[in-house]
Amino acid sequence: MAAESARKFEALEAQAASLLDGFRKAGYEQVAPSIIQPADIFLDQIGEALRGRTYVFTDLAGEELCLRPDLTVPVSRLYLERHPRAEIEARYCYNGPAFRFQPLGPSLIHPREFRQAGIECFGAADRDKADAEIVRLAVEGVREAGLKPFRLRFGDIALFYALIDALALPERWRLKLRHYFWRPPEFHALLGRLAKGERPDGDGAVAALAATLGTDDPVRAEELVADYLETKGLPLSGNRTLGEITERLLDYAADLRADPLPKEVATVIDYYLAVDTPSREAADRIAMIGQGAGIDLGPALSVLARRFDLIEQAGIDLGPARFATEFGRNLEYYSGLVFQIEAGASDDASTVAGGGRYDGLLRSLGAPVQVPAVGSAIHTERLLAAIRGLA
Amino acid sequence: MPAPKLSIGVPAKGRLKDAAASLFEQAGLALRKSGHERGYRGIVQGLDGVEVVFLSAAEIVHQLKAGHIHVGITGEDLIRETLPDAERSVEFLAPLGFGRADVVVAVPDYWIDVGRMADLEDVAVQFARAHGRRLRVATKYLNLTRRFFANHGVAGYRIVESVGATEGTPAAGTAELIVDITTTGTTLKANHLKLLEDGLILKSQAHLVAARAAAWTQGTVELKRVVRDRLSGAS
Repeated sequence: MAAESARKFEALEAQAASLLDGFRKAGYEQVAPSIIQPADIFLDQIGEALRGRTYVFTDLAGEELCLRPDLTVPVSRLYLERHPRAEIEARYCYNGPAFRFQPLGPSLIHPREFRQAGIECFGAADRDKADAEIVRLAVEGVREAGLKPFRLRFGDIALFYALIDALALPERWRLKLRHYFWRPPEFHALLGRLAKGERPDGDGAVAALAATLGTDDPVRAEELVADYLETKGLPLSGNRTLGEITERLLDYAADLRADPLPKEVATVIDYYLAVDTPSREAADRIAMIGQGAGIDLGPALSVLARRFDLIEQAGIDLGPARFATEFGRNLEYYSGLVFQIEAGASDDASTVAGGGRYDGLLRSLGAPVQVPAVGSAIHTERLLAAIRGLA
Repeated sequence: MPAPKLSIGVPAKGRLKDAAASLFEQAGLALRKSGHERGYRGIVQGLDGVEVVFLSAAEIVHQLKAGHIHVGITGEDLIRETLPDAERSVEFLAPLGFGRADVVVAVPDYWIDVGRMADLEDVAVQFARAHGRRLRVATKYLNLTRRFFANHGVAGYRIVESVGATEGTPAAGTAELIVDITTTGTTLKANHLKLLEDGLILKSQAHLVAARAAAWTQGTVELKRVVRDRLSGAS
């Protein structure tokens, strides 16, 4: 893509200045984290899907680096640099470039170099209040920039976890369902397998070994597996431990003995994942599904209701906003609220801003404790294009 | 003005070099270096209008993509790895029957709980819980690996680039599993690795390939046909 015109540059700068001004007035300190980041952290946290879209390179000293594909991780690292014990509440705002390889070639809506203006809030104990604050600032930001009409879409990852916890399931299945949640086709296949009671397949000798392992004595089970490996001449030579191999064989043995997932349970999960309603009806709809299944989703549902109350009290009209349980299933580091702001009223609307809660991220970046964290980023080129009617 | 020549990229080193040279020989199209012995240009004896460019198999892929050479001999693995949408930039003219190698997913053979790709994602979950990081896959086939793993719903991994002795990385502890080429499986076995049942990514061999972006004339198209017929007749 050719370099942007001076005029567009100026328009983007003016837009960013006004967004930042609003964020700073709300108590968010402006920060400018490094554009060049250690590749390791991104690749370990975000995985190969984003790596395929990240500009990774090795510098002359042999260090593996990347051009930041977004600003949430760099700002989180900056927070941890300043507060290694992660005990301080902090609010940051930023505007700066991020870089993503576009497999189909860069375009106006999918540029490979774009500027994100955003906010991140760390350590705020009242999570619902912080969620509402972030949504309000994002909405006010795009509104004051001149965007109208726009649509709000919400989801909530924590509700899914609450559902899985409330259902009568063995823990090993819970772990799997939680994990596969992020990949809908595989999740669907897994649910089908569990419901059909399909038995795990595999090497006959290994299946026979698994069947001899008693679940009540893990030490003995490890000994049996060690003997088997010894007899077969298979040395333990990598990072996976004997304990890990044994644990999976025990799960396998348990699956061989287990009854299939009850059909009602699979149905409840399917019903839940089909919820797509006006946002203010979501809590009731989900409560009804829970009641039908005889389960209580407890605090997670009250959080959903209270958060929407707080967003409305902040002056955001939730009338046209929608809530979908499926929404956010492709954004693996989110842990609670997810939302986005879409320009235009049609189905091919373009996402101009998005955000959500990511309480697990800072811990995995090295924080000694879990840190409540929520934020939002505005895609400034798209916002400008939407305002000018180019999107 | 002399008619434009058909330029052919031929591997100048690596595992495809000797087989490529003898295939031309058998086809009655012996390759001769022009100029001094270490030069990288040549001619085909008995076929006028052809210019040979000696390059590495990987460089041949890039030159084909750019259209700087008309045709080339290189491994399908390199083409699929380098060109995400291979058919759009090149035309596969003929498989040549040498340079056979399978690109496969292999794990340590003591992973007796793992037999298929689907197991890998479960292991990734467990591994992340136990070690606080993703499974590492050592490979030089970044794109083939990403595409194949995505198609199998495996996401909890990261790639560490490896350009040599990839099969040693799991035992050395720098990766947990590998994606690499194998011909007989002997090297994998010697390194206590096993293939996954559904872990065959690509059955590769050397191909004669034409560049869509090259400047084609009636003459070069005709020469391309001659080279293809002679080489596939001899392979």
